[in-house]
Amino acid sequence: MRLFSKPLFKFFLFALVLATLSALLSPPQADALTVSSTTAQPNSTSSNSSAVIGGTPTRITWEGTVDKGEQVKSLDLVFPAGCSLADGADVKVTVLHGLDRMAYLEQDQLDAQHVSVDFAKAVPSGMLIRVEVHEISLPNVAGDYQLETNYTDANGKSAALGPTQNITVQTVSWSDQLSDWLSQQGWVQAWNSVLFLNIFFNPVQIVASLPQLFFGWLRSLGIVLIGFPIIAIPIGLLVSFLRMSKLKVLRFISSIYVNLIRGTPLFLQIYIFFFGLPYLGINIPNYVLSFLVMGLNSSAYLAEIFRGGIESINKGQFEAAASLGMSRMQTMFRVIIPQTVRRVIPTATSEFILLYKDTSLLAAVGVMEQMMFAKNIVASTGNMTPYIVSALYYLVVTLPLTRFSRNMEKRLADGEGGNEAKEKKHRLRALFTRKQEVAA
Amino acid sequence: MTSAKATEQIQQRTPGATAKPVVRIIDLHKSFGKLEVLKGVNIEVDRGEVVVVLGPSGSGKSTMLRCINLLEKPTSGQIWFEDTCLTAPKVDVNKVREHIGMVFQQFNLFPHLSAKKNVMLAQTQVLKRSKADAERIAVEQLTRVGLAERVDYKPSQLSGGQQQRVAIARALAMDPHVMLFDEATSALDPELVRDVLDVMKDLARQGTTMIVVTHEMGFARDVADRVIFMEGGVVVEEGTPEAVFDHPQHQRTKEFLGHIS
Repeated sequence: MRLFSKPLFKFFLFALVLATLSALLSPPQADALTVSSTTAQPNSTSSNSSAVIGGTPTRITWEGTVDKGEQVKSLDLVFPAGCSLADGADVKVTVLHGLDRMAYLEQDQLDAQHVSVDFAKAVPSGMLIRVEVHEISLPNVAGDYQLETNYTDANGKSAALGPTQNITVQTVSWSDQLSDWLSQQGWVQAWNSVLFLNIFFNPVQIVASLPQLFFGWLRSLGIVLIGFPIIAIPIGLLVSFLRMSKLKVLRFISSIYVNLIRGTPLFLQIYIFFFGLPYLGINIPNYVLSFLVMGLNSSAYLAEIFRGGIESINKGQFEAAASLGMSRMQTMFRVIIPQTVRRVIPTATSEFILLYKDTSLLAAVGVMEQMMFAKNIVASTGNMTPYIVSALYYLVVTLPLTRFSRNMEKRLADGEGGNEAKEKKHRLRALFTRKQEVAA
Repeated sequence: MTSAKATEQIQQRTPGATAKPVVRIIDLHKSFGKLEVLKGVNIEVDRGEVVVVLGPSGSGKSTMLRCINLLEKPTSGQIWFEDTCLTAPKVDVNKVREHIGMVFQQFNLFPHLSAKKNVMLAQTQVLKRSKADAERIAVEQLTRVGLAERVDYKPSQLSGGQQQRVAIARALAMDPHVMLFDEATSALDPELVRDVLDVMKDLARQGTTMIVVTHEMGFARDVADRVIFMEGGVVVEEGTPEAVFDHPQHQRTKEFLGHIS
């Protein structure tokens, strides 16, 4: 059975050889166009200034050069799925020969899916075609995106080029979106036209720095939340015991410790620890050293607070415990300290507040805490607003604590000689029973 | 001096007990700086005996009492508690104090603990009783002093008289061999004194060995097996309540009793 006649077979064979040869001799893509770059303009208003943010208008620039011996009649650039056009979206096409701008009439069509450019006359080889799409938003999903390029040459032959180089898109945080939106609002612009308001209370900066400072806030808080209970309280307690010890040596050593720490600035202590220890070959991670230094500093103050608290306990409590045969340790931990705790809570809380505020000093040695975060943002924006936002973050902690401390103090003052501490649920009942007794 | 009644009860409680004194104070001196408060005190207290110590303020009676459990360190002299000489060096003070209950003028309850926990604390800490045992005994003792319904109250929620009774229960829970009362009713409002005295009378009736420093003459007359009158850091006179109250031998005793009544 012969399907092919002999001449036809010969032709096929010839074509096959020719195709193989041409494939071997010429480059695999005989395209008329080489895409030299595809970029999107950084569009983040906040600190990360080199980032391309999704969901926010940007400018996409595509550039391609017409290859030797080729001509390009029309272009069709396909955007990644999920792009959108903002008001004022537009296309600008430029044809350059070297540095010279050439005049080529073109017609273009733009929508969210693609842009097509049709030149009145085919663009000859050697020309650089630049297509800029203004006010287009890339998808608000982080990732790499490409444009696809289709073109038609002078002969009307269409071809598709593979994906272009990546455009890396970062997602927009709500704060970036909000600050972008804010920066376009009339009232914000009016507000910012007042220099003082602009420098210290810039709404755009407030919104932009809030989430970043939040992490600084967490770190500052973390330093005291670890340093205070884990280092300051146990060492403070120990030192307060030593201060009240029967042995003169222990009293002497502990008083040196307390007086050295309380008598010198925390700032100086931070410098000595952070810059001194590395000279001794002791390298402790910054954060560990942070709560170590902060904790040790606070322990000296707490030692005095605890000592005052313990000494304020009625002598009769020691005697009662002693008369029952309780040892000194049992007396301390079962009788004296539980009573002391309630008395020292107000002052110890104040000490906690002080320590928390003083974490800002750590910025001087480069520990990334809240102050340092604020400093960095200020350095990149030249606006003081992050400092004000930082102040708010400090206040979020200090104000409620101050209030708590004051209330505790009041409650203790209300109790008879501070001897009485009632749980909240017992408060009413206690008041009630006392009243009854007075009446009785 | 031991009353026959008390001896009998003690022998029921501790079979084979000898008539050896529980507390013996020999030539006790105590000075605070240059001020000599005790100038050679000699007192013996037998098992089951109730001894009431009277005297004007500043006579050294509280100091004498506080020397017995070494809350004050004697300057010289000897104090014996049963077979232990407390004034000897290296004596385990806490061990001795376990057996000596003390009730203070100012109650000295632990304000952060409920009545029951006040009574339980030393039981679990010092006597190493289980929590359940300590709790049972605490409720028992609080019931004994008439506070069964107040076990969960904090000291601040109790009247002075109630607080003092908790303090008595707290001392009793340790099964003391002797109870010291240091002006236990002096800080109380007059109407609250009686409840506390009633408890003390009950204890005396049950044969508890007690040394009571007080200004309550009625109590001394009714309850004491022996009354000791101190003044100026020495024992001026001692004897049965009848002897001391009705036929005082010394001029100072007469004056003191005359002032009081």
